[in-house]
Amino acid sequence: MRPLDALAKVCGDVRPGEPAEGVLGVEPALVAAPKNLAEAADVMRVAAEKGLAVVPRGAETRLDWGTPPERCDLLVDTHRLDGLIEHAAGDLVAKAEAGLPMERLGEELAERGQRLALDVPLPGSTVGGTIATGAAGPLRSLYGTPRNLVIGLTIVRADGQVARSGGKVVKNVAGYDLGRLFCGSYGTLGLIVDATFRLHPVPAATAYVTCAVSGPEDAHDAVQTVLHSPVAASAVEYLSPGTVAVFLEGVPDGVAARARQTAELLGENAEVAETAPDGWGRYPDGTTLIDVNAPPPALRDLLTMLGPEAAATWSGSGHGHVGLPAGSSPDDVADVLGRLRDALARHRGGAVVRYAPEEVRGGIDVWGPIPALALMRRVKDQFDPDHRLSPGRFVGGI
Amino acid sequence: MSAQDDLPKLLSDCVHCGFCLPTCPTYVLWGEEMDSPRGRIHLMQQHAEGEPLSGAMVEHFDACLGCMACVTSCPSGVQYDRLIEMTRATVEREHPRSLKERAIREMVFQLFPYKRRLRALRGPLRAYQKSGLERLVRRSGVLERISPSVAAMERLAPPLGRAPRLPERVAARGEHRATVGMLTGCVQSEFFPGVNAATARVLALEGCDVLIPRDQGCCGALSMHSGREDEARAFARRTVETFESVDVIVVNSAGCGSAMKEYRALLADDPAWASRAEALSAKTRDLAEYLVELGPRAERRPLPVTVAYHDACHLAHAQGIRSQPRALLAAIPELTVREIAEPDICCGSAGTYNLFQPEAAGELGDRKAVNVDATEAELLVAANPGCSMQIATALRRRGAGIAVAHTAQVLDASLRGLGRDALVAPDS
Amino acid sequence: MEPRLTALGLRLEALVGADWVITDPVRLRTYDCDGLTNHRATPGVVVLPDTAEQVAAVVRECAAAGVPYVARGSGTGLSGGALPRTDGVLIVTSRMRRILEIDIPGQRAVVEPGVINLDVTRAVRPYGYYFAPDPSSQQICSVGGNVAENSGGAHCLKYGFTAHHVLACEVVTPDGELAELSADAPGYDLLGVFVGAEGTLGITTKITVRLTRVPETVQTLLAAFDSIEAGGAAVSAIIGAGVVPAAIEMMDALSIEAAEAAVRCEYPPGAGSVLIVELDGPEPEVAAQFADVERLCRDAGAFEIRIAADDEERALIWKGRKSAFAAVGRISPAYLVQDGVIPRTALPQVLARIDALSAESGVRVANVFHAGDGNLHPLVLFDDAEAGAEERAEAVSGAILDLCIEHGGSITGEHGVGVDKSRYMPRMFTETDLDTMQMVRCGFDPAGLCNPGKVFPTPRLCGEVPGVRKGPHPYEGKADLF
Repeated sequence: MRPLDALAKVCGDVRPGEPAEGVLGVEPALVAAPKNLAEAADVMRVAAEKGLAVVPRGAETRLDWGTPPERCDLLVDTHRLDGLIEHAAGDLVAKAEAGLPMERLGEELAERGQRLALDVPLPGSTVGGTIATGAAGPLRSLYGTPRNLVIGLTIVRADGQVARSGGKVVKNVAGYDLGRLFCGSYGTLGLIVDATFRLHPVPAATAYVTCAVSGPEDAHDAVQTVLHSPVAASAVEYLSPGTVAVFLEGVPDGVAARARQTAELLGENAEVAETAPDGWGRYPDGTTLIDVNAPPPALRDLLTMLGPEAAATWSGSGHGHVGLPAGSSPDDVADVLGRLRDALARHRGGAVVRYAPEEVRGGIDVWGPIPALALMRRVKDQFDPDHRLSPGRFVGGI
Repeated sequence: MSAQDDLPKLLSDCVHCGFCLPTCPTYVLWGEEMDSPRGRIHLMQQHAEGEPLSGAMVEHFDACLGCMACVTSCPSGVQYDRLIEMTRATVEREHPRSLKERAIREMVFQLFPYKRRLRALRGPLRAYQKSGLERLVRRSGVLERISPSVAAMERLAPPLGRAPRLPERVAARGEHRATVGMLTGCVQSEFFPGVNAATARVLALEGCDVLIPRDQGCCGALSMHSGREDEARAFARRTVETFESVDVIVVNSAGCGSAMKEYRALLADDPAWASRAEALSAKTRDLAEYLVELGPRAERRPLPVTVAYHDACHLAHAQGIRSQPRALLAAIPELTVREIAEPDICCGSAGTYNLFQPEAAGELGDRKAVNVDATEAELLVAANPGCSMQIATALRRRGAGIAVAHTAQVLDASLRGLGRDALVAPDS
Repeated sequence: MEPRLTALGLRLEALVGADWVITDPVRLRTYDCDGLTNHRATPGVVVLPDTAEQVAAVVRECAAAGVPYVARGSGTGLSGGALPRTDGVLIVTSRMRRILEIDIPGQRAVVEPGVINLDVTRAVRPYGYYFAPDPSSQQICSVGGNVAENSGGAHCLKYGFTAHHVLACEVVTPDGELAELSADAPGYDLLGVFVGAEGTLGITTKITVRLTRVPETVQTLLAAFDSIEAGGAAVSAIIGAGVVPAAIEMMDALSIEAAEAAVRCEYPPGAGSVLIVELDGPEPEVAAQFADVERLCRDAGAFEIRIAADDEERALIWKGRKSAFAAVGRISPAYLVQDGVIPRTALPQVLARIDALSAESGVRVANVFHAGDGNLHPLVLFDDAEAGAEERAEAVSGAILDLCIEHGGSITGEHGVGVDKSRYMPRMFTETDLDTMQMVRCGFDPAGLCNPGKVFPTPRLCGEVPGVRKGPHPYEGKADLF
């Protein structure tokens, strides 16, 4: 039986791929959109039987991240897996399917005064994609990334078997936490079908305190002042070309008092606002996006190296993004990347290219140094011995 | 029921939680289970279950300082103090020691509990310190070669000054508030006579008639904490007799005070003495404990000194006395009290420990000296002669001098308005 | 000792020095269990390395000899995770206790695995920081052990577990190689799965921890209720109001009685349950929310509320709770400590069922729990002198775990699976789930020598052992272009 027919027997939405659906230029032969866990498992089982290389797809917001797959016989599209399975408000827990867009999840949770404390830097992105890429925004300073908020995960393995880890309670140390392993794994270990998250209450009040800074030294000082103060910011951001912004959450009186306190700490330039400053929680402009790991003491070196013109954002958690403009040559990008890595290595940081035009991507080292690569390969070999899951999409050719 | 019958119950109190580990000095040094209270209890259990007392086991029991920090930290109420004393007695009964070990132990136990013998030693030591021979002998390491224990004793001898002889009775100043007996202690009275004089003066200035029986002997602390039970009982009985007539016995040496509070357990099996021992234990007070109970009356005069207060194990852990000495010191105008890091960890003195286990004691002394040094205090205050000797020696090894005083001496200086120069050298 | 171990012991002596290799049977026996004493095994050899390189060398020797090994920190675990192997080596990290780096601007510190949890806080407290995970054994448990167990504590309700406070680990892999696992480096989050793997994936030798700013203010109250249900209702009301306390702890009448006997904590007499609620954070936030909490407790029927005025009073409130486990020893000759989790909202039903279980079996159960996250610590009391009593207690204890699973909870919230609960894993997970977890194990430790017999009831056969493959690795030359 042809793969298409075999898949059609187990899944209601199977069709040939189209050129426009290419994953970084690699056109899928087939696209399947399972509507539930059973269909997803069957699709993966058939793919295993037929030896198909599988790339999962959510809302395509980050399908251009990483490196192109070596091949893509089957795109597994999660858009029909878009249910909020459970929202146990009393337990501050929700279980959602992989294809559910983050904003829709947020709206449903907000109806009962709760939220998943993750920013959505790219509108439309899905629960599954957010987990698979480990995406987060400014709130990561306080709440972490998906690895800190996923408490249970259901996946379909390369062989089509369904496996769960964690559960639906926040505190749980039974067995290995595969949830954390799958966060940021780019679809190379299995297909994420649903996830259970720990939730937080929607704060009663919020405020932003912004302050213009003049240069790396000033930015460093402002950030350090806030980090070591008792104002307990939920996020501290640097936004190019020269703003430090602080986000506060809490009860109305508390937030008002803390906003004043923060403004005093930041000096006379500081302003309190109810709405976020421009660029808050978004990636910087540009056709090449570089994700930097730069702990707070590295901010000064990072900004000095980038210069005043660069498009960059940075969070107090020690993570940031640098955008390089369209038209940057591969050599330009390689040069910036090399200097970034040199500057950040001193702080045990690093830089990874998330996306870049094809001609640039081919001329640079996307991932940079990868410690423990041998171990990663061995783990990959166990989960996907035939290397059919998003082959080549990840570090070291995984 | 005899003490040995209690053993299984006492052992089973331990739930193996490990909370004692970080406060145990030998665990802090070596990080090994069998040199922790939990590990030693495990070894005791092995012995109770029939494992013969091996050299390895004894080594770990001997390495215990008996500081009782583990008793303080135990959430399950394990009476490690009783366990180790019973175990030490068993070791003394059942375990043959080497000739050299025996010789040193005999020397210590024939010397320290006896004031007259200690006094006989004072003359030669003083002459020896003055002669300048001291430095020569220290440098040569001759003593170290003969035996590290003798070397330890030699190092600990404090610079000796004139030793005033105390009268049998010191009358209260001002209105009489109480009559107290005072234990002078063996090492305290011979090596630190100034502390006893200060203690008597402070008590008198606070309105106490102080009775100091001349015929008092050793309280038996060293013997008790080393498993020499019969010897300890003999000392205890004599001390009970000596102080039977007073209502309160004030003790300025932490080791002695804790031993006297333990007489009730030591003599529990002796029908003729049990109730008398119980009574003595009940009326024994550490000096600081007593002064706080009594409440201050005499005027405190300013002492602009920064002091580091050291918790003697036999005061803090064995008697639970921590806040009282601090409160007394803090009440002196212009005096600043600094806390020493790792206050729960023993300085390594621990009665005879620095004599029998000089290496471990030295390491612990060094560790304590670093922490004391870090306080940048001018004066180290402790309530036990052994601690003072041990820490001063360790500080000297580091080339860091610090003045040393007993709580009694600081109070004495304040009450008599002697000023800071009485405690710290004018240039420091 | 088997000749194989004797020979290995000699090689280990050459690596770390004879003083730090223990082979004397009496000494070895002191290492026969960790904080869980009903599983015991005397290790074949104990070694106390001083450096990461020594740990790596020891692991290489074990690997070469095919001898299993187990890592141990302070030996305070409550699931037997550090239970030694009689045919193996116990690698004790208690000498590796240096704090290597304190980076306040970067809000992190680098420590060796044997460093005691509370010592990290002590070291950074002068700068206004602390290390957030606070298991009740924090005064002695090691950071390496916290990593292995993903330790929590009373305050993890707000601050999360060890996994959230570890940024990177240097580990010795079962090949005896040193590897750096980091939450921030590109590639799989191997750190995320290593933390909480109970020492089955390797031995950590250096840990970069996140430091947390000491909150501006802390407020603690003790509320007494007639019944456990009323206390539970207060918990639901507080959480439902959107308050995230630093901790919410609950004790029932029997555990209050025990604490009273042990430490005279003087909780309100006649209480059917007490609740300890602690809020921390910026002053104005805490002040506003604390008023809400107090009101919610009264609304739920609290007949007495005490508010700590200072640290001393706070310590007094916590004293009863913190002593509860050990205190139960005063009202019962022996007891089992259980650790299970349920969704918070299931508290009333589950507690009623535990009551019923206790009544049916005649086995007394004292309940102490982290109510905020539904983490129960039932203490099952029995008299070890009575024939069959321990078995009956075990049965009740197991039935409580079944209740947790039935309500969608977990068999362990913080003590770990270890050797004690591996038999319960199949009740919570399918064979495929467990097999999938063990794929990670096979990736790290195909020979199965690293802390074998823990977590999983049955080991997975790892199939082809990586590293013996001939010819170039399939990935070779594909992406390592630079």
